[in-house]
Amino acid sequence: MTRPPRLARGVLQRVLPADARDAIEGDLFQLFTEHRARHGAVRAYLWYWREVLSFSTRFTVDRAARRNPLDFGAIPSRLDFMLGARMLAKYPGLALVGGFGMAVATAVGAGAFAFFTSYLYPPLPLHQGDRVVVLANLDRFTMDANRRLLHDFVVWRSELRSVVDVGAFRTSRRNLITDTGHGEPVVVAEMAAAGFRVARVAPLLGRALVDGDDNPEAPPVVVIGHDVWRTRFHRDGSIVGRTVRLGRIVHTIVGVMPEGFAFPISHSYWVPLRVDPAAHAVGAGPELHAFGRLAPGTTKEQAQAELTLLGRRAAAAYPATHARLLPRVMPFTDVFADGNGDDWEATIMTAMVAMLLVLVCLNVAVLVYARTVTRSGEIAVRTALGATRARIVTQLFTEAFVLSILSALAGLALVAIGLRYLDFIVVKISETGTVPFWIDPGLSTGTIVYTLGLAVLGAVIVGVLPGLKATGGQLRATLGHIRGGTGGHLGRTWTALIVVQVAFTVAILPPAVVKGGLLKAMATQAPRFASEQVVVATVERESSAPVEGERPRASADTWGTTQAALLSRVAATPGVAGATYASSLPGIDDDERIEIGSGGVIRTEWTRTFTVAASYFSVFNIKVDAGRTFNATDEALAADRPVIVNRSFADSLFRGQAAVGRRIRYAAHDDRVQPWHTIVGVVEDFPAGVEEPGRTNARIYHLAAHGAPENRQLLVRLQGPAAAAFGPMLREVATAVDPALQLRRIRSLDAAYADRRRTMGMVTLALALVVGSIVLLSAAGIYALMSFTVNQRRKEIGVRAALGGDARRILTTVLSRASWQLLAGVVIGLGLSLVIDRATGGEMMAGRGLMLMPGIAIFMATIGMLAAVGPVRRGLRVHPTEALRAE
Amino acid sequence: MSHQGLGEFEQMVLVAIVHLRGETYAIPIVDEIERRTGRTVARAAVYVTLRRLEEKGLVSSWMSDPTPERGGKGRRYVKIEAAGARALRDARQAADQMWRGLDPAKLRTR
Repeated sequence: MTRPPRLARGVLQRVLPADARDAIEGDLFQLFTEHRARHGAVRAYLWYWREVLSFSTRFTVDRAARRNPLDFGAIPSRLDFMLGARMLAKYPGLALVGGFGMAVATAVGAGAFAFFTSYLYPPLPLHQGDRVVVLANLDRFTMDANRRLLHDFVVWRSELRSVVDVGAFRTSRRNLITDTGHGEPVVVAEMAAAGFRVARVAPLLGRALVDGDDNPEAPPVVVIGHDVWRTRFHRDGSIVGRTVRLGRIVHTIVGVMPEGFAFPISHSYWVPLRVDPAAHAVGAGPELHAFGRLAPGTTKEQAQAELTLLGRRAAAAYPATHARLLPRVMPFTDVFADGNGDDWEATIMTAMVAMLLVLVCLNVAVLVYARTVTRSGEIAVRTALGATRARIVTQLFTEAFVLSILSALAGLALVAIGLRYLDFIVVKISETGTVPFWIDPGLSTGTIVYTLGLAVLGAVIVGVLPGLKATGGQLRATLGHIRGGTGGHLGRTWTALIVVQVAFTVAILPPAVVKGGLLKAMATQAPRFASEQVVVATVERESSAPVEGERPRASADTWGTTQAALLSRVAATPGVAGATYASSLPGIDDDERIEIGSGGVIRTEWTRTFTVAASYFSVFNIKVDAGRTFNATDEALAADRPVIVNRSFADSLFRGQAAVGRRIRYAAHDDRVQPWHTIVGVVEDFPAGVEEPGRTNARIYHLAAHGAPENRQLLVRLQGPAAAAFGPMLREVATAVDPALQLRRIRSLDAAYADRRRTMGMVTLALALVVGSIVLLSAAGIYALMSFTVNQRRKEIGVRAALGGDARRILTTVLSRASWQLLAGVVIGLGLSLVIDRATGGEMMAGRGLMLMPGIAIFMATIGMLAAVGPVRRGLRVHPTEALRAE
Repeated sequence: MSHQGLGEFEQMVLVAIVHLRGETYAIPIVDEIERRTGRTVARAAVYVTLRRLEEKGLVSSWMSDPTPERGGKGRRYVKIEAAGARALRDARQAADQMWRGLDPAKLRTR
């Protein structure tokens, strides 16, 4: 970063005249060095680029003005822009259709760019943030990160030379017990002291964690964030030394970090990472993220080489656990994105998504070309008067740019809405429940610049390509046809493009319509039971992130007792009608494939599965149609554990026959045959109004055992709508049962369903926009083709009409070419649609493919015919004398 | 050389060179104009103007030796020529003639 950006220097060298180049480069170099020293490298880079753009513009204009003082050549003028705006007003259909398509395509392209640059691979806002790295073990085959790297972390910390301040962290949830007595779950970073050295941020008050803090014998300490200090401790200047209770343990606050500090992800509480490697086998232990900072003068490649060597050594020493592992040095942001360090993948993805814009713009280019050839007379006259080809193409480019920049602005607005929703999703999936500190929500400058770039690209395709074609070799010949209206022709490429476009539209419409219909149905349906009277919360034991394969801290018995105590305390709370547990929210459950045994024949079916506590049915007053619900003895049955099914299950799988007493089992996983279950009861379908159209509503209920981890969703049915005060009261009850008991995401079931509907609504909207733009462009393509065909044959129509030809026959002839293209597109599209349907086993169209496809074909043909109405009417209005005069 | 075609910005650049003792290079010229006018000047505009002035014979230029602190590039020094000084004087006289009898402080706009 000591020299100006190479690309900018390259641009400068190309733009500047040879006699001025050295002096200007030297001056800018000198000023860049001064800027860097005064304002830092990033601002110096930006300054340099701004200067390069300024020099490029000034010298290009200067050169053009020297060449011809009256004609600035390829430099667009204000008049060109005004002409562009006028063309939009003159052709509103083209402006609306093309603009809509380009806006959607730009939104998709810019959205992908924003996602990759701002969310997946943004720069880390720390001092020399690009040198902070994650050290990870990736599975050689799946490329998934294996985070049980405690022993590797110990080795890396002591042996790596190319990475310094190697540390590790994990995120855990603790109950912060305040003076009010109730616990509130907070997200805590259990982090090695090296984390603070890597971040290079000094504490505002007190001290950060130090190496001795992670000693198990050291007193428990905590460092808090600025937001916590401000909101919870009212900026208490004497906070250092005070104690705070995190779960069962009292911690001493030793420091406060400055505003904005949230390393490693978005944390506000930091406690020492105390994990004893001796207590865990190699390849076992808690899930950790390891990180460090590249040593001064070391490159990422050198660090990778050193880590690879250590990885080979570990693989030789512990083949069982390490032979599959691939140690990688990755950008720090991969700690959240779960990437594999290959940020070039993002570049490829962005480029692929940008291709959508290219495709859309090619479509718009067809329309613009059709319009441009109608102006070939005007172009020819201007050429004859001395305008260069570059000048005319520049004007066409500028006209297209007006359309593309307006579309880009609309696209940016869509991206801004989408990003707000993306933030919502990031918060949902983030282990800390907030956006990582390096993500700057909303539109970044980079995204805006990229979108402007897309607008230029769009204008090049939409304006320059048709412009070059329209000003090609046949221009001179056109001078003779100025009065005739049109010249040029739509070549085979354009025609093929329209056929492909119609085919593509017909192929994607059926699955899109089916999926869109299902999503819309889900987005608009309302639960048909009093979901606003149900409060839900996720119940967890205070612990670090769950450690698979590690012995739980509390036995199932203890946990079961706590669960039962919570349930009885909640049920006894005033205003509560009943409380129970389930594995997830009612109606939001998993699909499984089951096998049903019947007379030695086993058939497989899809069903939904849900694990509930025995009290689930009584709490929600679910009616029993046959048999019984679960009872206390069911849990004791180790084998042949009973299940309950709903009415839809009994009706669809047993077709009216008695279900009670029948046996089912899940389809084998990894060749392991699953045990049989006996159906002991049939209950009514519940919950009503949250079904997913297109997905089975057949459901199997399993009984969650005492202390089972499936009992994670607490469901409380109230006697009336949930009041805002109920949440804090519920927390208080939980803390009274056990200070380490955590209740997360307390909300009404109604709000949970509303969240889900919102997601479905957004997906439906996005789908509708993309499909709508494709259908519109396709229709517009057909319209352009029809219009062009009729315009080209005006003279022929006039002559035929003058000779007394039948109007219908004339039109049939005129439209025949367009019709066969339409037909070809529909037939190819239907074929593709059938292939897609077969390939997905009918899943893409939810079994409605055959019913939908003829409908879609008719729909497209109708659109084509409707698009032809205008040009056809114009064709009929051609007066014979007018046509003959053009002869 | 007539002062015809000497634009306002060309005059500013020429005056800045005079202020800088008649011999200087682009960076101080930009600074001088910005300091005296209180306006930000597009650096590129100064370079383009210097080239035009040289083509008109109003200034002359030569390159200095390259230096490492300038990325191995030299500096282009410019010097006002007699024609330049004359054009500047003529432009000033023309402006004075036009202003004669007017008081800038009493200028009113509708």
